[in-house]
Amino acid sequence: MALRRGVGALAVLLPLAWSMRRALPDGTVVNSGGAPLIGDLLGKALSPRSDGEFLHVVLQAAGTTLAFAVLGTAGALVIGLLGGLVLSDVAWSRRPPWPLRLLRAGLRGLLVAVRSIHELVWALLLVSVLGLDPLVAVLAIALPFGAQTAQVFGDTFDALPTRALRALRGAGAPALPAVVFALLPPAGPLMLSYSFYRFECAVRSTVLLGAVGVGGLGQELVVSLSSRNWDEVWTLIAAVIVLSALVDAWSGRLRTDMAVASCSEWSAGDSTGGVGAAGRRRSRSTWARWTTIAVVPGLIIAWVASGVSLSGLTSNRTRMLTGRLLDDLIPPALPRGGAGEVISAVLDTLAMAVLAMAIAVLITVVVSPWAVTARRGGGPPAPLPVRSARWLAWAVARIVLLVLRSVPPTVWAVIALLALFPGVLPGALALGVYTGGVLGRLVAESWESVSPAPREALRRSGVPGAIATLAAVVPASAQQLVTYTLYRFEICVRETAVVGIVGAAGLGRLLAENLNFFRFPVVTTLLIASFAVSLASEVISRRLRRAIRA
Amino acid sequence: MNEVVVRLAGVGRSFGGIAALTGVDLTIGAGERVAVLGASGSGKSTLLSLLNGSLEPSQGSIELFGAPVAGLSSGPRRELQRRVGTISQGLDLIEQVRVLHNVNAGRLAEWGASRSLASLVWPRPDERATSALEAVGLGWAVHERTERLSGGERQRVAIARLLIQRPELVLADEPVASLDPTTAAEVLNLLGRVTEVSGTMLVALHQPQLAREHCTRAIGLREGRLVFDAAIGDLAPTLLDELYARA
Repeated sequence: MALRRGVGALAVLLPLAWSMRRALPDGTVVNSGGAPLIGDLLGKALSPRSDGEFLHVVLQAAGTTLAFAVLGTAGALVIGLLGGLVLSDVAWSRRPPWPLRLLRAGLRGLLVAVRSIHELVWALLLVSVLGLDPLVAVLAIALPFGAQTAQVFGDTFDALPTRALRALRGAGAPALPAVVFALLPPAGPLMLSYSFYRFECAVRSTVLLGAVGVGGLGQELVVSLSSRNWDEVWTLIAAVIVLSALVDAWSGRLRTDMAVASCSEWSAGDSTGGVGAAGRRRSRSTWARWTTIAVVPGLIIAWVASGVSLSGLTSNRTRMLTGRLLDDLIPPALPRGGAGEVISAVLDTLAMAVLAMAIAVLITVVVSPWAVTARRGGGPPAPLPVRSARWLAWAVARIVLLVLRSVPPTVWAVIALLALFPGVLPGALALGVYTGGVLGRLVAESWESVSPAPREALRRSGVPGAIATLAAVVPASAQQLVTYTLYRFEICVRETAVVGIVGAAGLGRLLAENLNFFRFPVVTTLLIASFAVSLASEVISRRLRRAIRA
Repeated sequence: MNEVVVRLAGVGRSFGGIAALTGVDLTIGAGERVAVLGASGSGKSTLLSLLNGSLEPSQGSIELFGAPVAGLSSGPRRELQRRVGTISQGLDLIEQVRVLHNVNAGRLAEWGASRSLASLVWPRPDERATSALEAVGLGWAVHERTERLSGGERQRVAIARLLIQRPELVLADEPVASLDPTTAAEVLNLLGRVTEVSGTMLVALHQPQLAREHCTRAIGLREGRLVFDAAIGDLAPTLLDELYARA
């Protein structure tokens, strides 16, 4: 046990020390010229721009963001449902013939590749084919999210009881009706809840896509940031936070009503967690009913308001540009700096992800314990002042986490780049602060499910509260923290692309530079390198998570 | 004997080297109601699963309605499965949907894809669905959610699904194992009504008394082998003692 702990500690400390060295090279990292800018930015925090004209722009941009997120999620669900049915084993009553098996394996690989490319990179690639078309935003969300959804829906189907399906197939029902009759009803609540979780993510991602210039709150943010209109920046950040909070609250309420997987379960890939729980849902949730009723009108409004048209997909120009892009992408080539430059970018990416995770864990450990919604123990209620203080701490912690995760990492990066020279450090800071908001919420949610019974038992036997918490709650909570940290690390590696694109460091920066100069063969090499890095981190993190659970 | 509905010749099935059924020869004619008796693990469920096509035999051959089952392509296979109705102890109902939906599930083979999907979006009770539900005493429950019904009511929904499928051969795997004696007798009577159309039924039972009341013939399985095959009148206590005696 001691040996295992020692190895574990080394496995954390060595990469951390190495990443610190890489992030803090010998020269200066702090840009002293940026201090007045930061001062300006902070100075305007109390006087955001709030005239009617600008608020109108903000409202319109928020509408665009929402419309893109709705359509992107809808596209992702269509891909996810079809892909999920093909990928799930249950939907095939017998072993499919070999050409189909080959097709399935191919599809599985394709989906892994599609979701390993960040939505912002997708947007950059799509812009070079479709131009600044609203369709870019929708597809950039729909493709990677769809690939992820297919995986989750496939797992969901496979976790359902199959007896009813087998009975229908046994009575001669054709495959498709049998699957639709027997699998969709039990999977329904889970699928609806996951769709809303995806929608939550889509809103955040659409804000990110603003960096590419496809419209919405993100684009306004980028414009205001680059023209240093700090008063506008604060108004826009407030709008992003409000939008994010509303969507979070709505989707959270829906999940509670349906008693299906919590956000943390979904995002840790535990789609099966909710299958059993689905039976305990509130049978008549007004929220779920109104949400279902609102889906179709919502889609129509989003379609009309965003001005998305599919004609761009089939136009001659698109066909020509796609052909040219594919021609340009192949064969891959090395950047000017040779293989060394790629390797160095990969190492920067890894160092950035490791440091960002360290920052995120620090934020989580400090903030999350306060953000856990406490359940009442068996004892007498605490006095009113204590309860009010606890409530206040809870509200502040929740708001801090919401703000950290609602402001897109690109914005954090631009702010960090005011004070620091481009490199690993500003990227890691930006990504760490953002990931801290996400991880903090996931961990707080999962801590809510840690059973209070062992702690209560210790308390009843006279152990003081703090020691009881240390003995009974901390070990279980620590394991959840480690699991989610590893899981977020995977995503963090992928997201380094985002802060790279605004100029931090790593593969993302190299990618953005080469895309700007239309060096597509180099782009292919970099995409392959990103894919390899994110696949490797996924495999390692999955192995470690399994080892911890064992 | 009437027209032969089921014919098994030397049928065996093993799972990972362990034989669940060995060398079973059996012929069942139209209109026979056969009780399949035997202790738990004697091979009753395996026998029924082989007959409804959810398992394939390791040895021997199976013929249903005079045609071999092995090597059928998916179309004729589905057509054959449509003529065989199965009901099991677990009922295999879709819990989250309305009763009508579960009853209509018995018609998917007949309906094909487009009509099935339409009925899912726009479920309308037609004459056949209503009369199937009325036949099992659940005429009031068309729009009830299946998961809200009691155990006995759910059993009757499963039978209504069989009624609407109109199978020519009914396979029932311990359909009354978890029911009280009165409900059990009711369920077996209802199953009898399903087979009034088709005539033939194999029912795995643990209660010899019910077999005497509802079946015309009994077969006994012990450790995967057929140990007796007798008209129901010849079902002597000695046979049963031998069947359920500990090895």
